[in-house]
Amino acid sequence: MPLLQLCDSNFPSGAFSHSFGFETYIFNEKINNVETFRDALSVYIQTQLTYTDGLACRLTYDFLEKKSKEDVWRLNEMLAALCLAKETREGTRMIGERMWKICKAIYPLDIWNDDEKKQGYMHPALVFAIVCYHLEILKETTVLSYLYTSVQALVQNAIRAIPLGQTDGQRLLVSIRPHLIKAVQKIDTLTEEDLGAAVPGLEIAQMQHEQLSVRLFMS
Amino acid sequence: MSWSGLLRCTAVKKNGRTVISDCYYEGALKLTRPIYLHPSQPTIYLIHVGGGYVDGDRYKTEIMLQEGAHLIATTQSATKIYKTVNTPVQQYTSFYLDDQSVLEFFPDPVIAYEKAQFYQETTVYMKESSTFIYGDIITPGWSESGELFRYDWIRSKLKIYYEGNLMLFDHLYLEPGKGITGILQMEGYTHLGSLFVISPFITKDILQKFEWLATRFPVSAHLGWSIPMIPGLIVRVLAHETHVIETIFQMIHQFIREECFQEEPIFLRKY
Repeated sequence: MPLLQLCDSNFPSGAFSHSFGFETYIFNEKINNVETFRDALSVYIQTQLTYTDGLACRLTYDFLEKKSKEDVWRLNEMLAALCLAKETREGTRMIGERMWKICKAIYPLDIWNDDEKKQGYMHPALVFAIVCYHLEILKETTVLSYLYTSVQALVQNAIRAIPLGQTDGQRLLVSIRPHLIKAVQKIDTLTEEDLGAAVPGLEIAQMQHEQLSVRLFMS
Repeated sequence: MSWSGLLRCTAVKKNGRTVISDCYYEGALKLTRPIYLHPSQPTIYLIHVGGGYVDGDRYKTEIMLQEGAHLIATTQSATKIYKTVNTPVQQYTSFYLDDQSVLEFFPDPVIAYEKAQFYQETTVYMKESSTFIYGDIITPGWSESGELFRYDWIRSKLKIYYEGNLMLFDHLYLEPGKGITGILQMEGYTHLGSLFVISPFITKDILQKFEWLATRFPVSAHLGWSIPMIPGLIVRVLAHETHVIETIFQMIHQFIREECFQEEPIFLRKY
């Protein structure tokens, strides 16, 4: 049940205000229907979600298992430095901070006392991993759930922005499952050296979003 | 451990002019005598005497800028990576920028040929008052059959430590075999350029002027820019040709020299 609550689309993390660059593609009509969105989403899972968000989630879990909290904060610092587009960096920070605050209110954990270690940035994947680790949810389940939550938010946003039908959105979430499973397997083979491999076109879209004239989303 | 090429040098400000001191090199790396394209700011050309990087090569370059030094650095020709079957080519570059120093670094493009594997790590240790300008271009190389993107992989990391803290980390990993040409990735383009300017002189006013400059960039390029956590500017460019990225970099370089330092442009191209 705790996991369902954390992954619920009603969990008020603010993720629904961000498209992380997707809105630029929708604006330019590079993404304009289910097919084009599905293609972009599967690349997003294989790249951004695998090498940055998913790997960060797994590494955090690893560090907590080894009781090396300092590494969690070092990872957080790297994640802030890795995000080159300001709006996306800010958006990610806001979601992370919001999750930190809510989770702090609902689960009593020692780590919440490390507030000053955040140094003004908090990546949501870290908060997610911290909570799941303490709830003794398996590592693979933690990573898969985090990926699913990220994808679900993007699908909901695409339904509003492209727009797509609600049923199309649900169908997408089913058809994307094998990609998520594969991503978790891939993440398991990666090391810290792989962290943050950039996706140049997506980064440019995130940067261009900062100058878009019409915007539904904050990033 | 031994290096295929090792290069170290220090730029020092003496009597209002920057000079190169403590220059040391061995193996396949060399440095030209500094050329003064500007009366007080020397330009150095990093040279690879072998003509190209091959299997197992390891290179290390360390450039230090003492307080107030102003240095322009480039390479003499493109960094060519040939077939590397056993051990990837590794290139480590470190820059140390003391107070009020300025480094402008515009190397020629990286060209990775068929079956090349290339790891590049650039680390910058800078002070809040210093300026670091760096433009990097990665091209797709080609094979005998004329096909592009036949290299195995390129991994390029840039880490900027600002007053001791990691504030900017760029990590590019291109593995053509996995399909990198499409949406979110190379978007159908072949050449990738990244430009970083970290400087206390990048103010809101300069950024506004930059937006105006950006309207004059070649339309054949696909690009975006943003600002890092520290005063500065980041530009990512996708294009079909090296010279399009070079033109954009030159425009920005000239803009920064004029607007931030009230200096004339420097023309580095050697051909």
